[in-house]
Amino acid sequence: MAAEREVHDLEPEAFLDEVHSFEFWFQAVEGYLSGLTFGHRPATVEVPLGEDERQRLITVLCNYCVGETAALEGASGLIAVAPNRQAKIFLSTQVVDEGRHLEVLLHRMRELGVEDPEAEVERRASRSLRLFRQRLLDLVAGKDWEAAIFAQNVILESLEFAVFQGHAERADPVTREVLLGIVKDERRHIGFGENELGRRLQQAPHTRARLSEIRKELDHLVLDTLGETMQEIGAPDDERQRLGRSYLDCVRRLGFA
Amino acid sequence: MVDPLQAESRQADEAPRQRFVLEDTGFNEVPKKYRKFYRKWRGAGDVLGPNEAMCPVCKVIIRSSRELRPGDRIYCMPCMSRLVVVRGESGALEAHVSY
Repeated sequence: MAAEREVHDLEPEAFLDEVHSFEFWFQAVEGYLSGLTFGHRPATVEVPLGEDERQRLITVLCNYCVGETAALEGASGLIAVAPNRQAKIFLSTQVVDEGRHLEVLLHRMRELGVEDPEAEVERRASRSLRLFRQRLLDLVAGKDWEAAIFAQNVILESLEFAVFQGHAERADPVTREVLLGIVKDERRHIGFGENELGRRLQQAPHTRARLSEIRKELDHLVLDTLGETMQEIGAPDDERQRLGRSYLDCVRRLGFA
Repeated sequence: MVDPLQAESRQADEAPRQRFVLEDTGFNEVPKKYRKFYRKWRGAGDVLGPNEAMCPVCKVIIRSSRELRPGDRIYCMPCMSRLVVVRGESGALEAHVSY
């Protein structure tokens, strides 16, 4: 019998080709999304929430919708700017992921009794996050690949990854399943951002100063929202710090700390 | 004179590597053929095996059918990172991102 192929024996270029492919994405999401309806198992039992808890959850979901909309619009705009085929195909899968996230979050709000979720997002969403979204779209419109990837796939996605994980730990069962499904997608998005930017910074170290300025301008907008969200879901201070740390670890690895 | 600690480390590096039979761990975030190479961190009390390392980017545990040693290249498919195994300050093996 032929020896089984060890995944770690792949040549680096073959690995990058594989993980950036639509085929990889399709088989990956099939593993954790098949059998779900709007991000959760149909049989998962809804736990009744008190009115205050329901309202706080709706506010948090509204903010998540703004973040997901920003990433949907940002990722789709970046396909035209992406420097190579691998990045274009990966971003096309990210667009699908972000569209799904927005859809399941809006659907979750309907399940919670919100008649017009999009109007609710307009009413409740955090000002900081709206500003972040506008600034991200400005960077995309300016075709600034490094800055837009930094804003979207490092700053925004890292914090979403951390917040959704933290929230899932204390959420009702249906919301928990929806969030955990999103977290699995976010692994690819944060990994793409950090690795793409890491490679670009090695090739063009002078980019670092410009990105440091972007970071100064933008990360407080997302960190403010992180604080507000963690307060709404009742996370203790030490957990807020732990979640913030995972983002700071990422920027430190990229040499920004 | 050869440092006894270095000599011991060299001997360990030259010894044949342990082999491991990988089984499916229920990890479902990559295509089926790659699933056995990954698992989730099980929280406090979980221990990494000699063929395992934690991805610093997404915190998934990466597994190999061979014992890992410093300098090995490993891949985290769930977050698409290329990593290199290094010996950390604590003496334990760690994975560092290789952009």
